[in-house]
Amino acid sequence: MSKEHSGQKPWEGLQMPLEEKLYRVRYEVDPDHPHIKVNQEICSRCGDRVCTFICPAGVYVESPGQPGHIQVRHENCLECGTCRVACTCEGITWDYPNGGMGVRYRFG
Amino acid sequence: MGEEIETQVIVVGAGPAGLTAAHRLAREGLEVIVVERGPYAGAKNLSGLLYSTVLAQEIPDFASRAPLERPVSQRGIGLLTPEGFSLLCFGSRKWSSPPYNHTWVVYRAQFDRWLASEAEAAGATLLEGSVVEDLLYQEEGSRTKVVGVQIRGEEDTFKAPVVILAEGAVGLVSERARGRLGMSSGQIPQSYGLGIKEIWALPASTIEDRFGLEPGCGAAMEWVGSPFQGLVGGGFLYTGKETLALGMIVKLENMKKAKLSPQDLMEGFKANPQISRYIKGGELLEYGAHLIPEGGPKAVGQLCHHGLIIVGDAAGLVNASIYHEGSNLAMLSGRLAAEAAIQAHLLGDFSRGSLSLYEKMLGESFLMKDLQRLKNIERAHLVFPRLMDELPSRFTGLLADLFEQVQMPKQEIRKHAFQKALEGLPKFKTVLDLWKMRRMLG
Repeated sequence: MSKEHSGQKPWEGLQMPLEEKLYRVRYEVDPDHPHIKVNQEICSRCGDRVCTFICPAGVYVESPGQPGHIQVRHENCLECGTCRVACTCEGITWDYPNGGMGVRYRFG
Repeated sequence: MGEEIETQVIVVGAGPAGLTAAHRLAREGLEVIVVERGPYAGAKNLSGLLYSTVLAQEIPDFASRAPLERPVSQRGIGLLTPEGFSLLCFGSRKWSSPPYNHTWVVYRAQFDRWLASEAEAAGATLLEGSVVEDLLYQEEGSRTKVVGVQIRGEEDTFKAPVVILAEGAVGLVSERARGRLGMSSGQIPQSYGLGIKEIWALPASTIEDRFGLEPGCGAAMEWVGSPFQGLVGGGFLYTGKETLALGMIVKLENMKKAKLSPQDLMEGFKANPQISRYIKGGELLEYGAHLIPEGGPKAVGQLCHHGLIIVGDAAGLVNASIYHEGSNLAMLSGRLAAEAAIQAHLLGDFSRGSLSLYEKMLGESFLMKDLQRLKNIERAHLVFPRLMDELPSRFTGLLADLFEQVQMPKQEIRKHAFQKALEGLPKFKTVLDLWKMRRMLG
């Protein structure tokens, strides 16, 4: 199934923005139970904000117009645990999503 | 008030380690419950190649039943530079027929599901969609022992004299248990590689043409060089039946320090014409990411306590050398944990001393012997960057210069080419680095 996007791709050939990749991932979203929490107070004091570039699912985004405020798109989380290891200032609390929820790979 | 459900062994996590343990336990007639947080076994798992030496002992006829993509009949190691490339491709006719060098391309979400069904057929009970929040502990004199698991949102309690933790690279329960039980950690903190993987759909014949494969056979290629900007890590390309698995594994610490994003690195890798030519015309089916514990033997801590055994990635049992061996080792550790648990049940002794039979058997196995060779792997990030950056370009440059056609005696061409390739290299340091690298290849 050649996607409906063909013809209007903003990227060339095989190059792809992250949003487009995440679009192909299946999730069971648990909107009421975010499994990631950030401590905005710690995050606002964080110098390098590693989470905003190291997360392979782009879960952490600095809010536009609100410097230092981290938005969490937990519904995109691939549950790889990278943020837990990479954030050394302990601003992120990461827990397992509830049973059966979150990412579900078909291939993996 | 919920019920108290008692069983003989509880396994946390339905990946290769946990399921192999469960399979072995069930086959030997023990009651075992496997608790998996995903909606099905493998739902959260990613992997590349499966080495099947341990699986073949556990389930001898697996090859005719498991969802295997392709056996790997040829492997490749490639160097990428902005200007060119070099690729060493090797194979053996032997690898194109049983037992196919015990090297397979598999998709974890499909393979683990099958392995789970095997464990169930042997008698294990699988509890999917259930998150183990913590372990259940009991004080007995001066010692604390593990007596079961507490499942999130569940009133029933699940009890067993042995709990096997097989929860994978991101082990929240293992982490808490280690703290609570005061289990000694390794000499160094665990360090990780970040794996990124894309699955691309392509017709089988296109895959076979592009890799030069006989029908049904497969290829595994690994690449280092310029797309990875001197970081420790590289890319991979594996052939499925009608898919290609394209991805990379990069040392997290390196990426963090260099402030590089996995997405940009992956796109840079894919943009190289030597890589894009394989996936051209394909369609992206899935994208995923996973951590790999790469700290080597020094990052492996105590793996047994009263009533508790830790296996697989949660235990840090990964050979991160050029062999990238993870699931095979996970399966072996799962099997050894099962054997120790069986012995403990026979003796009625679930103390740390009794269960440490597991650690003893691990120590005597090929797993630990291989892992011990990597005792300095945590220093890889100190040695590799220069090599990762410079070697590919110098080596491919040398080859290009050697074969460049100019009107000059060949002897002089060779002399100039070698001079250029070695220019500015501190000889001793390079030899030392190469030697250290060789030690780290396992």
